[in-house]
Amino acid sequence: MTGESFKESFVEADGFRIRYVETGNGHPLICLHGGGGLRLAPAHDLLARDYRVIAFEMPGFGASPENRRSTSTEDLARSMNAAVSALRVERYSLMGTSFGSKVALWMAIQGPEPVDAVVLISPAAIRAQEGPVPTRVSPEEGARLLYAHPERQPKAPPPPPELVAKHAALTSRLLGPPRDAPFEARLRQLPHSVLALFGTADKVTPPEGAHLFREIIPNCHIMLVYDAAHAIDADRPEAVASIVGDFLARKDQFLVRNTSDLLHR
Amino acid sequence: MMHMKASLFCNPQYMASAPQDVWPLSGKYFDADVAVRSLQTTLAQFRLADEFGFDWATVAEHHYSPFSLSPNPMVLAGAVCQVVHRAKIAVLGPTIPILNPVRVAEELAMIDVMSGGRLVAGLMRGTANEYVTYNINPAESRDRFAEAVQLIRHCWTQPEPFGWAGQYYEYRTISIWPRPVQQPHPPIFMSAASPESGEFAARNRLGVGFAFTTVPHAKKAVAHYRACARATGWDPGADQVIYRALFHLADTDEQAFSDMATLPPRVSLTDQNKAVSEAARKSGYYGADVVGQTQRNSRRELGDRIELGQVIVGSPETALKQVRRIHGELGAGIIDFVVGVQLGERTMRSIELLGSKVLPRMRDL
Repeated sequence: MTGESFKESFVEADGFRIRYVETGNGHPLICLHGGGGLRLAPAHDLLARDYRVIAFEMPGFGASPENRRSTSTEDLARSMNAAVSALRVERYSLMGTSFGSKVALWMAIQGPEPVDAVVLISPAAIRAQEGPVPTRVSPEEGARLLYAHPERQPKAPPPPPELVAKHAALTSRLLGPPRDAPFEARLRQLPHSVLALFGTADKVTPPEGAHLFREIIPNCHIMLVYDAAHAIDADRPEAVASIVGDFLARKDQFLVRNTSDLLHR
Repeated sequence: MMHMKASLFCNPQYMASAPQDVWPLSGKYFDADVAVRSLQTTLAQFRLADEFGFDWATVAEHHYSPFSLSPNPMVLAGAVCQVVHRAKIAVLGPTIPILNPVRVAEELAMIDVMSGGRLVAGLMRGTANEYVTYNINPAESRDRFAEAVQLIRHCWTQPEPFGWAGQYYEYRTISIWPRPVQQPHPPIFMSAASPESGEFAARNRLGVGFAFTTVPHAKKAVAHYRACARATGWDPGADQVIYRALFHLADTDEQAFSDMATLPPRVSLTDQNKAVSEAARKSGYYGADVVGQTQRNSRRELGDRIELGQVIVGSPETALKQVRRIHGELGAGIIDFVVGVQLGERTMRSIELLGSKVLPRMRDL
């Protein structure tokens, strides 16, 4: 089952008690979830074969108390950097999904030294325009926004409406405008290699907006993941794990193929 | 009202006798002088078509056969650009599931640039035998096609370098130069003979073409395509539908029929090889409608082929009647006229008659 090997723990940081799950060995990969809360996908299991995957549940999400203190993604990023420090992880990569992409980018801006590389999955950090939001529509419509093939996803009861409402309120309060000038000004100085993945069937953060990341972030690679909607890591887990794994291992050099096409010798 | 358009498809047949029922055909039948003359004739016919005001000039892809000396339609289109100055260059088309889609996007963009924005891009699955050519499994044809169409569109429209994590194709960075002249991208057509293809074309808002089929079959397929398009909220115009038929015209019906009688009965390239034909059928290449897809192209007598709208033959008056019927039954806005027989001066005369006597009267249809 997805996420079965992940162990739950809590860390005290910046006045919050923050839940996280982790598994695997190797270079640490810190994961920041999207506006729907912590959701482990098959891609996390696959990445955990080579990486120590640590997925946080950010304050105010899931069963944690309502978060009225964080004022922005920038502010929330400070709390999350404190959480990473408290785990005594020295060098790591960041992977932010949708809403979490903005938190991950702020974390890299605020504490660039320990960050090796940044991966963005269906990033909502820069948006050409406001798209539909999966937490603000019916569960059926939400599933169609998340998955290119909802019928292939494991059957699960929809999350309780009050939890969905709590997440929607928090993300809409913190996310900021589609184009956030002070944030973009900081991104233009970002020293890290960044990989941004977009699903070709995504209507929430559509591939038509992908070029903005490339225009604003000095060293950003765009990958379009075919036949995936917003939850790319669930629609195409093997593709995501393979591309992200190669990028984390080789950074910009991942452009050059290093696997063989030899049929027989 | 939009007038009906005409395309001339000068398929570069090998203009000497060679077996027409063997695929792949041995190179021992090949004579270089004949091949040179054949391709020169094709270009001369395209030049003539442009003088008579044909709207499009069509090229296509076939492999390993004297039926067509155009395994790469991009190369031929590059030459056609130099002799056809007014008509659109219709590449109908590359067989994309057996090719590198990024290369296809690059080459089509080149043709659009070299022609000053006159490219019509047909993205095709091709016939089943083509899958043997580059050793691609025909069972995966539809999935490869669907992915390649999206990838080619992104190659043409993504303004910044991007990578592609597909099911069949993976590229770490793509940024094609030149980019197409036509924005956001050149018009795209695909074959929609099968119900699956019609649905795909409708969903992706692509134009459709019907080749080597029959009017009754194409009529059903057009109705299906239009119904699927309406279900997804759009209504394709007549200009979104191409119908391809062989033609041969002469000053009299008698002459035209006697010329056409020299045409050997057509056996599809796939059916020229029993093993290929059977393996392709087993692979699921034809989709759900196997009978319809394999029988629409079966061998028929000339009279039946005329009746079914596969062949347009006769004097200009007779040909016009046949064109009117096809237009009336299908609502196709573009007829792709394929040069039926290569008979030197008589074929040039056939193109001239089509261009001067039939084409002007098609404008009112």
